[in-house]
Amino acid sequence: MVLPLKLLFQLSVRNIFRHKRRNGMLLAAIVVAVGAVVCTSSLIRGFQYDMADAAVANLTGHVKILAPGYLDDPNIGKSFELAETWRPDVADEELAGWAARVRVPAVIMSERGTRGVQFVGIDPAQEHISFIGSVAVEGEHLADASDGRILVGRALAEQLETGAGRRLVIITQGHDGLNRESGFRIAGLYDAEGTGLEKMFVFTGVDTLQKMVGADVYTEISIRLRRDPVLFQLKASLVEFFTGLDVLNWQELEPQAAAMFVFADSAFFIWYFIMMGALVFGLVNTLVTSVMERVRELGMLRALGMRSRGVVAQVVLESSVLMLIGVAIGIATGWLAVLSMGDGIDLTQWAEGIEAFGMRGKLVPVPLADDIVLIGLMSVVLGVVASLYPALRIVRIKPLEALRR
Amino acid sequence: MGIGAICLVAVGVAHGEPAAPDPHELIEAAIDHQRSATSYSELRMLIHRPDWQRTLSIVAWTRGLSDALIRFTAPAKDAGNAVLQLDEKMWTYTPKLNRVIRLPFSMMSQDWVGSDLSYNDLSRNDNVLQHYRLAVVDIGEADGLAAYTIEAVPFDSAPVVWGKEDWVVRDDYITLSQTFYDQDLKPLKRMETLEIGEMGGRIVGTRMRMSKLDEDDHYTEMEFIDMDFDLPLEDRLFTTFTLQSGSVPTSGRDG
Repeated sequence: MVLPLKLLFQLSVRNIFRHKRRNGMLLAAIVVAVGAVVCTSSLIRGFQYDMADAAVANLTGHVKILAPGYLDDPNIGKSFELAETWRPDVADEELAGWAARVRVPAVIMSERGTRGVQFVGIDPAQEHISFIGSVAVEGEHLADASDGRILVGRALAEQLETGAGRRLVIITQGHDGLNRESGFRIAGLYDAEGTGLEKMFVFTGVDTLQKMVGADVYTEISIRLRRDPVLFQLKASLVEFFTGLDVLNWQELEPQAAAMFVFADSAFFIWYFIMMGALVFGLVNTLVTSVMERVRELGMLRALGMRSRGVVAQVVLESSVLMLIGVAIGIATGWLAVLSMGDGIDLTQWAEGIEAFGMRGKLVPVPLADDIVLIGLMSVVLGVVASLYPALRIVRIKPLEALRR
Repeated sequence: MGIGAICLVAVGVAHGEPAAPDPHELIEAAIDHQRSATSYSELRMLIHRPDWQRTLSIVAWTRGLSDALIRFTAPAKDAGNAVLQLDEKMWTYTPKLNRVIRLPFSMMSQDWVGSDLSYNDLSRNDNVLQHYRLAVVDIGEADGLAAYTIEAVPFDSAPVVWGKEDWVVRDDYITLSQTFYDQDLKPLKRMETLEIGEMGGRIVGTRMRMSKLDEDDHYTEMEFIDMDFDLPLEDRLFTTFTLQSGSVPTSGRDG
């Protein structure tokens, strides 16, 4: 027999409106929970994407070509030559850019301090793919690949008590294994979001650094794509081309960031189940109460011939309708909250701390349609599951017993 | 050239001295005067701070501009600690660790045993000859002798952190002072010769003081007790083996 759905739906809705205050409270709880989940999930996504983006922009790129052993012992000996005409074998619309660099450990000295840094020779024209291409610079940016000046992070300049226009001494190992030292004038101070990068990297023109180490070689090529899928295909073609060199993708280069990326996926579900788990108990409680007050009424309906599954359907519908309304308003509220955060939460105050998580100074929420649909669907399913217990409980009472209460 | 040079010549003439000598030769001779082909010295080093001070006894051998062996002999806590310099490379030895450690370049600008001297001050005084533009900027008088003030400005790509150095060298090649400036041309530290006397058959500075100028009451004084020049030194003195074994101090003097 087909269930009289229209009738059941009418009964459910009327029952909901019979107890306006009680169901209003429950609705409010659902709205808050769903709204909070939408809001936090977009923040978690924001964190996740920011971290991946920072990892890729941090001179890594989506794919990197390195000499074998460079990661274990980064020095100019672990380098390779590159033909002038080389370019990655990727369609232009897939390729965001690529850069060939020399990156060596070095010691940098001012009158008042000495620090260890990564000394990176770059071609500024290629560096729109990394953070150094878009940072704010006090003073001047490097002009071209043969610029003989250096670009120093603001935090490092503060440690060394120096500034734009001053000279610093840099010592590094030459290609022949002997130390090279030279004075460099500071072109400008760059402002990366986060002091870790500023303390780690000192930049100069790649030609200048090649001259200093005494070899026309590179230690890395970094390639950035517009989207991920071409990655595997590109990696395969690079492995073939650069025989004898290591070709690594960003997950391999930044395993911590890659692990955090995966963790953020699960964090979304963990958070969802904590919020909704608490809510479900409230929902079950309310439904049990509302069903138990209607024992006689439901007993009467069954005595008149309504099947027990009809009764179950009625309770499930009641819960689902409540949940659907709650979810709709909740998602709308959450969405508004996300919008109100606008272009992000400013975390620069805690820059040092959040850097440990590979994040930058600003947390921009990223609301994903997929996530929101998933939240809605799972909530409705939870609503159905939660109503099964009260429904089955009422069905277990025999109609005669029910009428006699 | 021009007016500046004429003024300098005029000053020189007024003192009855020859015109300003070549600053390059002057500094080379001054460094050579203190170290000679080989040298042996015994000295006391006083490290002074506002709230404490301590004295260390040192013996040192040098050969040319590039090789040196420096060993602490007292107090007991520091005795046996030693530094070996060969060209640009430096090693330290600590008896407590019984280990020779090659100093990385990054440590060369750090203070040596808590004094106001850096490892660079120990080893690289002569780089002023290579990496700086030298000019005699003033000719004064000290103890009846001409004293030349030489301004040394590092070349742009020179591996030198200072803004400039000022040397004051007396006519008999005794360095009276050496001042290091930062790149704002603010003086940061100064090495002064406080006493001059005869030792090892020549007139040399016998008490020198390195002061930090941006910190009050921070200085390190070196007082020479005995010096000897151009003595024969065995090659094995300047090896890490000798650095570690510490076997030479008694025999080195007489070679």
